Parts: sequence; structure tokens; C-alpha cells
Amino acid sequence: MDERFDLAYRLLDEQIVDVDGRRCGRVDDVELIGAAGEPLRLSGLLTGRGAYAARLPRRLRALGRKLFGDDVRGATVQHVPWSQVDEMGATVRLLGRAIDLGLGREDRGLQRPFGRIPGG
Amino acid sequence: MKAILRVALGLIAAIGGFVDIGDLVFNTQAGALFGYELLWAVPIGVVGIAVYAEMSGRVAAVTKRPVFDVIRMRMGLSTGLIVLVASLFVNLLTVAAEIGGVAILLQLFFDAPFMLFALVGALGLIVIIWITPFEGIERLFGYLGLILFVFVAAALHEHPDWHAVGGGFVPNGKSSTLYWYFAVGLIAAALMPYEVYFYSSGAVEEGWKPSDLLVNRLNAVIGYGIGGLLSIGLMMASAQLFEPAGVEPDHLGTVPLLAQLPYGETGLVLALLGMLFAIGGAAVDASFAAAYSIAQFAGWEWGKYRRASGAPRFTLAWLLFFALGLAVLMTGIDPLDLTEYSVVLSVVALPLTYVPVLLIARDRTFMGEYANGPVARVLGWVYLVVLCVVAVAAIPLLLATNAGGG
Repeated sequence: MDERFDLAYRLLDEQIVDVDGRRCGRVDDVELIGAAGEPLRLSGLLTGRGAYAARLPRRLRALGRKLFGDDVRGATVQHVPWSQVDEMGATVRLLGRAIDLGLGREDRGLQRPFGRIPGG
Repeated sequence: MKAILRVALGLIAAIGGFVDIGDLVFNTQAGALFGYELLWAVPIGVVGIAVYAEMSGRVAAVTKRPVFDVIRMRMGLSTGLIVLVASLFVNLLTVAAEIGGVAILLQLFFDAPFMLFALVGALGLIVIIWITPFEGIERLFGYLGLILFVFVAAALHEHPDWHAVGGGFVPNGKSSTLYWYFAVGLIAAALMPYEVYFYSSGAVEEGWKPSDLLVNRLNAVIGYGIGGLLSIGLMMASAQLFEPAGVEPDHLGTVPLLAQLPYGETGLVLALLGMLFAIGGAAVDASFAAAYSIAQFAGWEWGKYRRASGAPRFTLAWLLFFALGLAVLMTGIDPLDLTEYSVVLSVVALPLTYVPVLLIARDRTFMGEYANGPVARVLGWVYLVVLCVVAVAAIPLLLATNAGGG
């Protein structure tokens, strides 16, 4: 993508949707990789409540970690590689399915019990 | 033809879905205490909710973003979180108040303890939500809420002095704090924000597109406009029947008397049924509004159209709000006090969610040709000022009047 875009305005806090159109988190943070003086590369999106604390004002971060949990990759925060992003519009659309990218895990445990109730 | 019918059905639901426990309490009390003198506050609130709902429905139809999506995007995580917590708090008070209202009304039909009926009412509503699709829920409670027009009929039955009624639409600059507390309460009761979170999320649930913008405008202007007539009818009937008799409707069970006095038993039953469905529908809307807010803020899958197994955390969230509402009632707080607090605190939190919607509705980068036109622009800013004035005045008036207790 040669286009210029505003990371904070166009990407941060947007809704993530998988290839099937399922909502599967928000862009709670982004990860940039690179050393000082060298070009930075957007390695991917971070999503999950574990990413909340780092974005709160400094004084509230300890409280944030208590409320939303620490940043544990693969558990409270999922990393979605930038190469998985298909399109940025009203939502950030991914190329793959949420389940294959480790997204929307918390929904899965409840899916079956709710599905068993008639009408659910 | 089919399209016209669909529009009409939605419109009727919007009319019937306008009134909740807050409107019932504030309008009858205002009429009983001040006669017609506070009628002017109703249109201020009604135009406000129409402006806010129209903008948020238009934003949802064009950008597919309901209110809390907009809040998260425009305000970011930290500020958005404050708005979320404040909204959820008043939403919880509202859910509790509405469930409490349902329980009080059931107690008028049958003799059993209050908490038992709160539980039965909540479970009944949960079952209805579970088995009914989104449009069905909206229509069921909307249509049956129309029975409340019995209060408008009661108001007309008493041959109102139209000259005095007209005079009520001009504020008279009274110096009593109680008068101003009720003015703020009436505006706030019409402007309950959960209605807008529900409305804008409903636009996404029903898959609105820019071609649905006419429906959106009709719903906002005609639906809420005629819905406002219900409030006016309540206040007028109360002014005619309660004020001269010195009745202070400090119990929800007093309100149906307004229909019983002119129409006897039939009027009483109709009034009770209308109130039951209006308040029950509001309990559903408010608990859904809370679930929509959390899910949209966090990016979870949401929506009744996904079914419970398709949006499990969203489903868990609205179930949780019913449970929390019951827990609040178990503390023994009077549902009518809860109602007053939820209405007044809602209006304090209202500018927080109104501003981001106003900002995106006027933003051409998101809205293109559907951005606010001249009318929406002027009304949008005028109401920002009105909301801020009402929000600032609300708490001091609540404290000064001891929540209307004098």
C-alpha cells in the first residue's frame, strides 16, 4: 500500500471484522517494529482487553491492569499480522477467519450452551 | 405498497415505544402539582430526542456505526471508557426502575410480594426476548404501548380549557425550584439516551441503508412527535383530575386512575395494560442498550439477528443487566425514587454521548452527501446548548428539591 494514512485516525479503535463478516474485536493498539533511526514497520494490530491498560493515562494504568488484566500475548491480547488485513473502511476487514487468528475466543465457550436452548 | 406498510408499521411502533416509567412519573406529577404550566417542557424534550435519534439513525444507516461505535472511534479508549461507565451506571438504574415498575403494576392485578413479581416480570421479559426476533420485539411492545392513548382520550373527555392549555406551552418564569426541577425532569424523561443507543443499534440490526433515511426521518419526526402527545395527554389528564382534587401521584398505581375516573373499570384495565407494555418494553430496550454499549465499545459480535449462540457475550451482557437490575431492587430502594434518579442522572451524562454523534453527523469524510443539512446543523448545535444547560442545572435542582420531595 503506497497510500498515506493516519494511523490514529483510520486504524486505532476501529472494529475488526473477519472474512465472514463476524465482529471480532477492536484495534486496541498497533505494534511498530524497528530501531531508532531506521524505518519503522507496522507489524500488526493488537486486540483484547489486555491492551487497554497501556493506553490509559499513566496514573490509571495500575488500576487498568487490575480491571482488564495484564498484557499476555495469546491470552488477553491477540496479535493480528498486518499481512492479514484485507481492507480498511468503516471496519478493518481481515483475510482469514476469526477462529484461525485466535480472535473471539471468549465467545466460543458460551456458544454451545446458548445454542442448546431452543431459540438460541 | 409493501414498503409503505413496512414504514407505517415501524412508525406505529416508534409512537408506542416512546413512553416509559420516567415519562409516566414526571408527566403525571407535573400535571398534579402545576396543572398545565409545564406543558412547554414536553416539546423541548421531544424535539431533542427527535434531533438526536435522527442524527444517530442517519449515521448508523450511512456508516453502519451505532452510537458506541462512534464514541469509541471519536473519543478513543480512555475518554470512551469514562463515557461507557457513566452510561452503564444510569442504564442500570433505568433497567432496575423499569423492572420495578412492571412489578408494581403486576401487584395491582394479583396479590403477591413485590420481589416475586420483579423476578416473574424479569423472567417473562427474558423469555419474550429469547424467542422473538428483533423486529418482533420492537413491534410487540410498541403496538401494545399504544393502549396508552386511553390517557389522551381521558384528557379530551374532560373538555379541557384550550386557552389554558395553550398558555401552558409558554414558560412562565416561576421562581420555585420545584417547578424548575420538574421542567428539567420532563425534558430529561423525553430524552432518555438508552432510547437512542437502542434506536441506532436497531438501525444496524435491521440493515438500514442510505435508502432508508426517509424512514429514519419519519420515525424521528412523526414517531417521536406523536409519542410526545402521549406525554401531553398524561399531563393534561393529571392537571384536570389530580390537581383540583389535590392528589399527589406518588405511587405508580395512582396513574391508571386517570383513565378509571372517566371510563370506569375498562379504562383502568386498559391503562394498566398500556403501562405494563410500555414499561416492560422500556426494560427490554434499556437492558439491550447496555449490552449494545459494552459490545460495541469492546468490539464483540452483537445483535439479536445473530441469535444468542452467534453473539454469546452480547447475550450474556443483557441477561446480566436484568440480573443486576433485580439486585438493585433487592436493596429495597423505591422504584419511583430510582426512576427520578435514573432520569435526572441520564441527562447529566447525555452531552457525553451526544457530542460524538453530532461531530460525526456533520463530518463529510464519513457522511458524504448525507452529512447534516442546514436544519440538522442548526438544531444540532442549539440542542447541544440546551443539553448542557439542563445537565448543569439537573444535580443542584435534584438536591435542592430533595428529588421532587419538596
